[in-house]
Amino acid sequence: MDKVIEVHGLKKSYGEVEAVRGIDFYVERGKLFAFLGPNGAGKSTTIDILSTLLQPDEGEVTITGHVLGKEDDRIRSSIGTVFQRSILDDELTVLENLYIRAKFYKKSKSDLKNSVEAAAEATGVTSFINRRYGKLSGGQRRRADIARALVHTPAIMFLDEPTTGLDPQTRKSVWETIQRLQKERGVTVFLTTHYMEEAAGADYVVIIDEGKIAAKGTPFELKETYSRDTIKIEPIDYECFTTQLQESQTIFKTSGGTITIELGRSLDAIPILEKYRDSIKSFEVVSGTMDDVFINITGKEIRE
Amino acid sequence: MINLVRRNLLIYFRDKSTVFFSMLSVIITFGMYIFFLGDMYARSISTTADIRFLMDSWIMAGILGVTSVTTTLGAYGNMIVDEAQLKTKDFYSAPLKRRTIAGGYILSSFVIGLIMSVLAFVFAEIYIVLGGGELLPLTTVLKLLGLMLISVLSSSSFILLIASMLRTSSSFGVASTIIGTIIGFLCGIYIPIGSLPTEVQWVIKFFPPAHSVALYRNLMMEVPMQTFFAGVPSNYLDSFKTEMGLHYEIGAYTTDFAFSILVLVSSAVLFYSLGILLLSRKKKK
Repeated sequence: MDKVIEVHGLKKSYGEVEAVRGIDFYVERGKLFAFLGPNGAGKSTTIDILSTLLQPDEGEVTITGHVLGKEDDRIRSSIGTVFQRSILDDELTVLENLYIRAKFYKKSKSDLKNSVEAAAEATGVTSFINRRYGKLSGGQRRRADIARALVHTPAIMFLDEPTTGLDPQTRKSVWETIQRLQKERGVTVFLTTHYMEEAAGADYVVIIDEGKIAAKGTPFELKETYSRDTIKIEPIDYECFTTQLQESQTIFKTSGGTITIELGRSLDAIPILEKYRDSIKSFEVVSGTMDDVFINITGKEIRE
Repeated sequence: MINLVRRNLLIYFRDKSTVFFSMLSVIITFGMYIFFLGDMYARSISTTADIRFLMDSWIMAGILGVTSVTTTLGAYGNMIVDEAQLKTKDFYSAPLKRRTIAGGYILSSFVIGLIMSVLAFVFAEIYIVLGGGELLPLTTVLKLLGLMLISVLSSSSFILLIASMLRTSSSFGVASTIIGTIIGFLCGIYIPIGSLPTEVQWVIKFFPPAHSVALYRNLMMEVPMQTFFAGVPSNYLDSFKTEMGLHYEIGAYTTDFAFSILVLVSSAVLFYSLGILLLSRKKKK
């Protein structure tokens, strides 16, 4: 197993506020790694530390084998960061923005041209590359931001809430771009998000809450451990059905005329259906979601 | 660093409003001069025709001095905005030295101040000639360009010191407004230094940009003064120079060319050192 990022005992406080309170994790090369958590959980602080912008109070971090705090310039050359806010210059065209940033990494002239073109192509910004960044739509800006992060072909790409504030359609296409970069180019992607469906599409998820790691695993493992499948039933006679359930001491929840029963596994639905088949008007078996995982672990609903 | 300077220049000149606002004090001064100040000064000194060339040169020298302050101020505005909008995060996460980034801002402010001063000078000469004056002799032009380097260096260092103490765009906006408003007084261009109260005169005498204004005046007014004061006793000329701020009297001492240059150079050294010190402390988290 090839670990490109290793973090041990990372801590960071701002005065009295403990933003990150001792976290450990590692990221495997070429994987899509998601950091999931509500606002204020410590996601941005962690990403700022990993991208050499903030000094941690405690803990060791190695990125592509380089020690954070000692070989920061080496680390900076091997990472690309997409920040939460747009950071390119409104007054310059996308191409000018990319060229200026590419020059930060000391490249030869032909190299410069090739890497800017490659980054533009990979993110689909070529069609509006000569337009001013300030005149672009939200989705186009985000693509340009990602192109900037790729301009020096980094091994790792950090993205801090890359799809926040975009409309659903744009969000989807930006997300597909990120996935394609990871799959086709083998870029290790480390992103923070508070969208469940994005976390569900990652290879590995770490859930962070109040500066601590609340759970980690593949989306499948997390769902297995922290969420339950349920069956939702709409009965023919509501009163009669609930009485029947109470008599057989089944635990259930009701809402708006439907009854929800938690299942150990999906198959457990069959005996229930057989037993009450004549009282059921319609039913639905719902498998556990990342939302359930999140709520079960942190006790909160994710906030937009 | 050249790459960053190029970026900063592009951003400054592409945003027409930055350019306009950094020239606003200059435009206002110029407007006031054409509409009433010019007449007022001219009438208070003499009514002969030659006065126009003399006074046009006087005001244009003042405008050049103010330009070096307000345009470098506008240029440092980009630094504050970059930080406030967290654009600097992008620079710091790249393998760039912090001093390269800071140097980029300092150098670009200097270059912007220089470009705008040259433009203002070209405009000033056109205005003077249109008003019936003469073009500056070539040797004087060369001297003036040399002076411009030192003047912009000093003004840019002064603004760096101010910018290094500010963090937000709004505080920088307030500082810009204050500087833009008082700079005309502090350089003695709205009202000649001789007509101001003694306390204000003292501030002007120790305000470095006022020394660049004095030097610009000496260069630009040389020719019109020769014509205007031909045959007039030299003590008249001296009191005119004192009154209009071509030199400053500090006690019994009258400042000369070398003294003013010394003020400009030493203020540049002092303000740059202080500014860079403050800037590096501001960056630490």
